[in-house]
Amino acid sequence: MSDSVLDVKNLSVDIPLAEGILHAVDGIDIHVDKGETLCIVGESGCGKSLTSLAIMDLLPKKAIRRMERLDLAGTSILDYSERQMSDIRGSKMGMIFQEPMTSLNPAFTIGNQMIETLQRHRNMTGVAARDIAKGMLEKVGITAADQRLNQYPHQLSGGLRQRVMIAMTLLCEPELIIADEPTTALDVTIQAQILLLLQELQSEFDMGLILITHDLGVVARIATRVAVMYAGQIVEQGTVKQIFDNPMHPYTRGLMRCIPVPGKTKPGEPLGSIPGMVPSLVGKFTGCRFADRCNLVNDACRKSDIELRAESGKTQGYRCIIDAKEMAKVS
Amino acid sequence: MSEIMIDARNVTRNFSISRGMFRGKQTLRAVNGVDLTVKQGEVLALVGESGCGKTTLAKILLGLLPQTTGSVDLCGQPIMDVPRLELARTIQPIFQDPYSSLNPRKTIGSIIGLPMRVQGIEDSATIRQQVETTMDLVGLAARHYNAYPNQLSGGQRQRVAIARALVNRPQVVVCDEPTSALDVSVQSQILNLLSDLRKELNLTYIIISHNLAVVEHIATRVAVMYLGRLVEEAETSILFNNPNHPYTRALLESVLTPDPDLGIPNAELGASYPNPIDPPSGCAFHPRCARVMPCCAVTPPTGINSSGSYVACHLYDENGASNED
Repeated sequence: MSDSVLDVKNLSVDIPLAEGILHAVDGIDIHVDKGETLCIVGESGCGKSLTSLAIMDLLPKKAIRRMERLDLAGTSILDYSERQMSDIRGSKMGMIFQEPMTSLNPAFTIGNQMIETLQRHRNMTGVAARDIAKGMLEKVGITAADQRLNQYPHQLSGGLRQRVMIAMTLLCEPELIIADEPTTALDVTIQAQILLLLQELQSEFDMGLILITHDLGVVARIATRVAVMYAGQIVEQGTVKQIFDNPMHPYTRGLMRCIPVPGKTKPGEPLGSIPGMVPSLVGKFTGCRFADRCNLVNDACRKSDIELRAESGKTQGYRCIIDAKEMAKVS
Repeated sequence: MSEIMIDARNVTRNFSISRGMFRGKQTLRAVNGVDLTVKQGEVLALVGESGCGKTTLAKILLGLLPQTTGSVDLCGQPIMDVPRLELARTIQPIFQDPYSSLNPRKTIGSIIGLPMRVQGIEDSATIRQQVETTMDLVGLAARHYNAYPNQLSGGQRQRVAIARALVNRPQVVVCDEPTSALDVSVQSQILNLLSDLRKELNLTYIIISHNLAVVEHIATRVAVMYLGRLVEEAETSILFNNPNHPYTRALLESVLTPDPDLGIPNAELGASYPNPIDPPSGCAFHPRCARVMPCCAVTPPTGINSSGSYVACHLYDENGASNED
């Protein structure tokens, strides 16, 4: 598997609180190949952002990260020091955050910030770095790049800022990009443009892309593989076609029923919904985490933890006690 | 069914923007000559990109901001002449973010009961009874009466905001992005609740949203705004099946339906939304329009009304007709 960009095994994130330990992320395996887009979907509080921060080693100080394996492009970076990690961040793996206004420094020009990245990682002169930065801005579709480099983040619109963020992430040609809700703060028209740009650049540079989102519309259009998270666990994973055409886990099915789809759901008809709330993850939890909200729940669900099933050629897996045959019968 | 609740004629709202200490003021036209009629029982959706004046228009319709020119009538009476208490009994808002629209120091019961106390109802038993009926109506358990907002989830808080808007049984409710701060599974609950309440209480909604899938699901009429102007207005099914204005088409193409067989659409809208302080000449949309004609940069299109639909585009007036042939 030389094409593997990221391989994470058994990642857990625990946060000690006054009431006990919060198991925010619990035993997650992630694998991304070159040129592949993995989408992590889930509702707020399911641990998707913490997962991405854990991979970048950017977790808050209080949080405890545990994992068996963390390989980036075939090299284990699990035991890297803070210094080594900061060499990797920005050069071998990049991150695009949700809100481009807060992730760019308002006190420096776009040019300052882009050149700093290059000088830190590539040991370049300012002039050479400026040329590369200019080229990259043009690549992400920003006109008059030379002038833009002298502008401050507040002088740019939301869509432009996000383009600058993407350009900055791409400067050192990383192998992996983690994008945490990159288009949530943007308008629909801009969202389509940014996603298109990400997709084109990804295939051009042959990068691995992890896209974290809660928008199933985005997932369907950009993902190659999808992982659905619920309460700190991956409850279902598979290729985008498997997940959308044949969802297995009751939670994934519930999510699909919740969204109004033009042409499919009749206007005015009640939408499906998932009753109840995400359980508290403080303290020890046994059994299926979705049991309280599931319409197919039975006594066995709460007795023991449920493993991720790997069926139908190993690409699709889901975490439920009901096997695939039974599941196909119930809708 | 056809009683007109809100009738806005040629509404314009200007804001003065300071350009610096000695450089005087500049005018920003947030809403520019909008005509809008809302009939009873309708669900009118206002859609458009951020900065197009949706929220300013909603504030004018709520009577929170005076319009600069034009007239807004609520039930046949100019909105600025309606006494505030009566206005509050007729029209109520629901805001986007239930985390910031509820006072964290008040209990749920007192938050929902406040509009009644404002209306001069002093009998606490009456208030409590009405609050509990309304809580039941929006699906909040009575045990939450003495809870504080931080004890509730996002969906429950949005239900509190809805209950507060409905406690005096208004006729019109203005919802500004009612579900965009919520998760999808909660969003569907709130959308179902809004449509149930509409049937039960015979409400009229004005919904502001940028989620077009939600709009198609809940609205009966849709008005598309661009840079302070209305560019198209039509029945929901007509607008979604046969959009006329190029901007509406681009918007609809940008919607990402959960269909893994389709790629990411390229609406070819160009990069930037124009600066509203310095709008383009003629039709404000012409720099981004895929079907731009020479006349678009010169004269702004006048709106065309036909069989209940409205579109402001040169493609559909005499300029477009001569150009097509």
